[in-house]
Amino acid sequence: MDDRRRRFEAQALPHLDAAYNLARWLARSQTDAEDIVQDAMLRAWRGFDTWRGGDMKPWLLTIVRNCCRTAGRASRQHMPLPEDEHGGLPSEDTGPEEAAMESSDSQRLNRTVALLPEEFREVLILREVEDLSYSEIAEVAGIPIGTVMSRLARARTMLKQRWMAEERP
Amino acid sequence: MSCPELLHTQALMDGELDSAGAAEAARHAEGCEECRTFRTDAARVSGAIKTDLARHRAPDALRVRLAHALDRETERSAPVPLRRRSFWFGAASGAGVSALAAALAIFAILPPSAATLADAITDAHTRAVMSGHIVEVVSSNHHTVKPWFSRHVAVSPPVAEFAAQGFVLAGGRVETIAGAQSAVVAYRHGAHEVDLFAWPDRGSPLPDVATVHGYRLVFWKQNDLNLAAVSDMERSELDRFVGLVRSEGQ
Repeated sequence: MDDRRRRFEAQALPHLDAAYNLARWLARSQTDAEDIVQDAMLRAWRGFDTWRGGDMKPWLLTIVRNCCRTAGRASRQHMPLPEDEHGGLPSEDTGPEEAAMESSDSQRLNRTVALLPEEFREVLILREVEDLSYSEIAEVAGIPIGTVMSRLARARTMLKQRWMAEERP
Repeated sequence: MSCPELLHTQALMDGELDSAGAAEAARHAEGCEECRTFRTDAARVSGAIKTDLARHRAPDALRVRLAHALDRETERSAPVPLRRRSFWFGAASGAGVSALAAALAIFAILPPSAATLADAITDAHTRAVMSGHIVEVVSSNHHTVKPWFSRHVAVSPPVAEFAAQGFVLAGGRVETIAGAQSAVVAYRHGAHEVDLFAWPDRGSPLPDVATVHGYRLVFWKQNDLNLAAVSDMERSELDRFVGLVRSEGQ
């Protein structure tokens, strides 16, 4: 058994769910997300020697995020919209079992987050779900820390306004 | 959003400020309604996300596809042992242990390849170390441990005490490696465990050394037995241990 392969699996596999979750929230469909994760993990494997050690999660998520951007550019021929031609939203492409288990609060929140513009959705997921620091988010998203902070504030405000708006009868 | 301190308030909330900055931001936030409201709202949003937002987990089918894709990258021609497949499904999956047992049963029909033998021994060693179930007989006295083996397994391993040289006998247990019963003599060396596996020599070749997932193994034959020492301690220390066992056997 290849020692390098073992080391890669030991470091990368614990973050596979995080990688997939990010791809699901940024990509246009579940199929796209799966393809993106597979592509990203292969790139990570090929670039394993360039990884400098420490926590592999931000490094992996950077690759996933870049693959999402590339995939999105390739499939978009118009201004980016959260809904594609078939009306699907990121992350909403779930099977019947998953959908049945979601509470109505969950459904509402998922929909609201899915409808956020991508640059806000991205920093929100990285901060609130993956607990990345500002500097890690800056690394993953390829933006300055100041931009991370202002986007995060706008994302939170926007989400709160839209989420509260839906709550009112 | 008009308050110029808003982003500091957010950074305070996110734990991103040092103590001086945090103290200053906290002071401001107390007197600023806009910042206080932002903080309260953001905390609500954060709480809702933590409890209600969908967290997708990688489907099993994706994990399997990935394993195959990596196989193709490394151009493996040998079939992938079931044990590695189960690794992809996580330690919590019950498939792990039974898949290993199934793999071992298959390999019992054929003499194990060097790579498979090293894998199997390392698996057994790490399972024991991680579960804490390292020994079935607990004793640092070879007069107790050696007879225990003769009662429990058809292998008579070398059992000696090397406490003076830094390797303390911890006891013994029995493992099944590649379909054969193996006596395992367990030692402790500082913070490290070292296991000595012994099973009958049926003439098939042994590798010399191996490294599996950071664990080092040394193989040799002695008195009709196949022996393997496995540990995560340094190579030089493991070699020293092997030297001690070999000279006792003469």
